[in-house]
Amino acid sequence: MKTSFDPVTYAIPFFVLAIVLEILLARAGRASARYETRDTLTSLGLGLGSSVAGALMGGIIFAASVWPYQYRVFDIPMTAIWAWVAVFLLEDLTYYWFHRLSHERRFWWAAHVNHHSSQHYNLSTALRQTWTGGVAGTWLLWLPLSLLGFPPAMIAIQKGISLIYQFWIHTETIGKLPRWFEAVFNTPSHHRVHHARNPRYLDRNYAGILIIWDRAFGTFQPELEAERCRYGIVRNLGDFNILRAAFHEWAAIGRDLGRAESAREALGYLFGPPGWSPDGSRETSAVLRARWASEAGLTRAAEAATDPTPAGR
Amino acid sequence: MEKAFLIQLAGSLAAVAALVGLAAWARISRAVDPLTPEAAEGLLAEEFPGRPFDQLWIARDGASALARSGDKALAVVRLGDGFVARAVAWNDLAQDEGDIVLRLPETAAPRLRLAIAWPLGAPA
Repeated sequence: MKTSFDPVTYAIPFFVLAIVLEILLARAGRASARYETRDTLTSLGLGLGSSVAGALMGGIIFAASVWPYQYRVFDIPMTAIWAWVAVFLLEDLTYYWFHRLSHERRFWWAAHVNHHSSQHYNLSTALRQTWTGGVAGTWLLWLPLSLLGFPPAMIAIQKGISLIYQFWIHTETIGKLPRWFEAVFNTPSHHRVHHARNPRYLDRNYAGILIIWDRAFGTFQPELEAERCRYGIVRNLGDFNILRAAFHEWAAIGRDLGRAESAREALGYLFGPPGWSPDGSRETSAVLRARWASEAGLTRAAEAATDPTPAGR
Repeated sequence: MEKAFLIQLAGSLAAVAALVGLAAWARISRAVDPLTPEAAEGLLAEEFPGRPFDQLWIARDGASALARSGDKALAVVRLGDGFVARAVAWNDLAQDEGDIVLRLPETAAPRLRLAIAWPLGAPA
């Protein structure tokens, strides 16, 4: 059983039309979007596969969210405006932590990495969705909302609205939006940073709809004109194979678990940050960022030492 | 499976085919000029910051480059209109039919081929 109203289903024609528009505008030289044919095929194929995986797992996940609702603390009416405001804020906060977990712990990164595996950033990238998110169990994070008393259908609809919102921000066609909007909402500019693999931009801007969570929890990074975003993952894929994109990190986890020499190592490979290794021979985002910060600091110090401009001017 | 889902799936497949066809027709990928020594140096500096190298080789087809940085080999290989970069131990470089190949112990990119003849000629 799934909720009968799924906003994402109704949004699919809009997704298609928006991609057509972005391609045609780029072709006419009126948008800066770039599409590589095989990359587009992989992105859209992953989107299609994700909808199949969602159909297979969606009923189980929805049923699981109904179970805690039986023990709800409050009876929250689906017809009240305040309830929709509350579910909007709480679902978005939940999304922030889900997304942060999906980047900072390898088990969940394995389910999410395919969304970041394109070296492009266009509207087709938005559809490069997970095949294994249901199995990875990140949906458990939303169960407290059911327990609190939000009807599962209400949560599912809000999750759909969030997914639809996040579609249009996957574009290079839109620059920066008015300052007030950039301050409150997740925007194409903020999300470009999230998809970039420059050390400065790694593991930043986890927001769904509201960027305020990143500002509050110290993970916000504005897009800088001086540093263009380089998209993809730290170790980019060697081809456009859709199965590799969907499963490569799971395979890598399996390989690492096979050579783990202790329970601690196995747990580190599973739940440590991506790039964790027992001997520190691999690089995590934190290591890459620290090295970048150190080198950037050295560069600034060197520039200051050779700059004849007096300090403070 | 429900009939409605199968109809939706068929429609989605048709939409994917149409969009990929449109993207191919539009020819709006990034420019992919053959690598020059200057372009390769810039790319390597971007991919391997803080790793100076002293020798550089450009592939015959201009689609990849190899640099030596101490005991490491730094490689960039074109994929579509982007690049894949990896650093391996210099001694781990292998050759296949006269060209350099990187056999990597990873699922993300198990093998990268560079159109650079082995043994290596003079650097660029």
